[in-house]
Amino acid sequence: MKEKLFLVVIVLVSIYLAGCTAKELKVPLEDVGMVGVMAFDYIDEDNLKLTVAIPQYSPEAKEHTQIFSVSTDLISKGIVDIESLSDKKVVLNQLRVVLINEEFARHGKVEKSIQHLYRNPEVGNKVLIAVVKGNGEEMLKGKYPDKPNINFYLNDLLQPSINTAFNPNTNIHDFIYAQTNPVFDAIVPILEKKESKIEVEGIALFKGKNMLHSLPKDEALIIQALQGRKKLAPMNLTLSNDSKGERLMMDLIDSKVKIKSNKNFDTPKLTITLHIEGTLVEFKGERENSLKTVESTAKLENDINEELEESISDFLKKLQEFEADPIGLTESFRMYYKGEWKEENKQEILSKLQWDIHVNTSIMSTGTLK
Amino acid sequence: MSTHKQRPLNGYHVIFLTQSAMIGTGILTLPQKLSSLGYSQAFVPLLFGLIACLTMWPMIWLNSKYKNDNLFRINEKLLGTWIGKSINIIIVLSFIIFLAGIISDYMNLIQTTALTEQTITIPVLFFLLLLLYIVSGGIKSIARFCIITFFLTIPILYFLRWSIEKGDISHVLPLFNFNGTEFLNALKEGYLSILGYELIMFYYPYIENQKKAFKHALIGVWISIILCLITTLVSVMYYSEWQLKNIEFSVLHLFKAGELTFIERIDIFGITLWVFLILSTVAGYLWTAKKGLDSIRSKETKSHDYIITILIFLLIILPISQELLERLFKLSNYVVYVLIIWPMFLSIIHLLRKKQVQP
Repeated sequence: MKEKLFLVVIVLVSIYLAGCTAKELKVPLEDVGMVGVMAFDYIDEDNLKLTVAIPQYSPEAKEHTQIFSVSTDLISKGIVDIESLSDKKVVLNQLRVVLINEEFARHGKVEKSIQHLYRNPEVGNKVLIAVVKGNGEEMLKGKYPDKPNINFYLNDLLQPSINTAFNPNTNIHDFIYAQTNPVFDAIVPILEKKESKIEVEGIALFKGKNMLHSLPKDEALIIQALQGRKKLAPMNLTLSNDSKGERLMMDLIDSKVKIKSNKNFDTPKLTITLHIEGTLVEFKGERENSLKTVESTAKLENDINEELEESISDFLKKLQEFEADPIGLTESFRMYYKGEWKEENKQEILSKLQWDIHVNTSIMSTGTLK
Repeated sequence: MSTHKQRPLNGYHVIFLTQSAMIGTGILTLPQKLSSLGYSQAFVPLLFGLIACLTMWPMIWLNSKYKNDNLFRINEKLLGTWIGKSINIIIVLSFIIFLAGIISDYMNLIQTTALTEQTITIPVLFFLLLLLYIVSGGIKSIARFCIITFFLTIPILYFLRWSIEKGDISHVLPLFNFNGTEFLNALKEGYLSILGYELIMFYYPYIENQKKAFKHALIGVWISIILCLITTLVSVMYYSEWQLKNIEFSVLHLFKAGELTFIERIDIFGITLWVFLILSTVAGYLWTAKKGLDSIRSKETKSHDYIITILIFLLIILPISQELLERLFKLSNYVVYVLIIWPMFLSIIHLLRKKQVQP
């Protein structure tokens, strides 16, 4: 009985004492400005221009997005500066897209800036990174009359839908992973503003701490195929072997890749086997009307194989020139290497690398018409 | 109810007491602690499991010679009252510091991830109250809490799905790509994560079926080892070596890879659910520390629970310099390491003094 009384007293006391606590300064939700897009623009070695887009939910405002821009040397200092411009408390919990302009990508402290976001527990992992041709601030300030809001627009654009699946869809983790793994060099999609649209234009290949080169879309497709992605974007090819310039478009259903090394570090050689399955969607050229028999399809498959083998081989040669490897080709050598695998090991293997490429295409169907 | 039996712990209780005490904050940082091994850390937990089995055997053997005594009593019996008591004081003190270390580690983590705008005083207070409630029910209530913890938290494993999908299994190769010093370093840093099974020396007298205790405890140990193995394996698959070395709470980032349409931040969800795992670990240690205080003062009262809890609270809350605290926590870790080898030493003394000591 005595114990129960004691308990009741404790409970009552703590309830009433709760009124004496200092009022906690919690910001109500309406006063929080959740940054959706962040853009870094290059000013000089130490300074960058930080632009953020915050959705404006107040129905009285004319614009649906608030955009603030400051130049700063530290990202978090920039955020604090923006807070003094903004009527809201600026938080990064809803950050979805980070844009870096090409100049910043080439000369700025990209890895450090992204690492800063990676370290911040407020920021989730689903933050997508993209390189902007030109100016990031302009892209955010641009008018896109048929889009609800730049925050949604950019995020949806960078989400991997099947037709833009060539887009490497690099989030913070992927970027840091590829940057810090000596086997890989990071790739990031490139965006370009075209009047009232934004286009995914290609991919940026990073080497070391900075961007090295931009690659076109079809080469990005090769990277993804060789990285072993199952679902790939539709592939368009121009068959050049008979020099008739036949064009075709294939929807890819499945792709499998096997990369085997000869485990020899002096004369490294890779055997790459790529199986792709797909449907032939469109064909333009001489054989258009004769693709009805099994033999003719087999012949076409053969032509596609040869074409692909050649373009993959060309691409690998290009990578050798760049001395960069977004595919992770040397992973199959690292697996057999005792000791620490370093960037230099990769360069050494890559410079001496030879390859053997086998592509097996199978055309599952050509549609339902005879 | 069977709560008032002399030996209230059945087989399942032993399995989960052993298992839950091992999984706490340690596993969150395990991949980072083992990072001196790089990618080869993947299968190291299996080795740890082996070491755990080998060191547990003398514990059980010693306890089976003194069926009704816990380690505190055995210390006193074998080493004489004075030496025994002094050692017990060291054990209790280091347990208190150890407890404070676990709790403050976890609370700091919560503070940096989930409650970024708040101090941790009030969460710590609530945590300790809950802890007192669990421990005041005795060892059996702790064991039951451990069972429910296991089944509540095991679904977290599902959240690893995305990291496994993204990861690259080829990272596991080459196997054993490390040298001796790297391994010893990892052993020193990482073995702490699987500590907890040594508590069996203290609750052994409460086990119903003491002949099978070793077997049950082993099952518990291996459940934990497999969980550790999954953690390190998935981390190795998902991270680069630099990330393994630099991401302190790798498990947290593994959760971050998750993509559910209705939960945005799985890591916050996981880390708050983790409180169960911390509670179950800490409850075992607190109960043991209380038993130790009982045996030092040669009387059993509930107030010992409160005294220890208040000490822990003060250790966490008082403005002691972080450096001193870190050093204390490190020291207490070493005491717990010694505790693992301690029964071997005691067994030798037992063999020497067999005739003089009455079990």
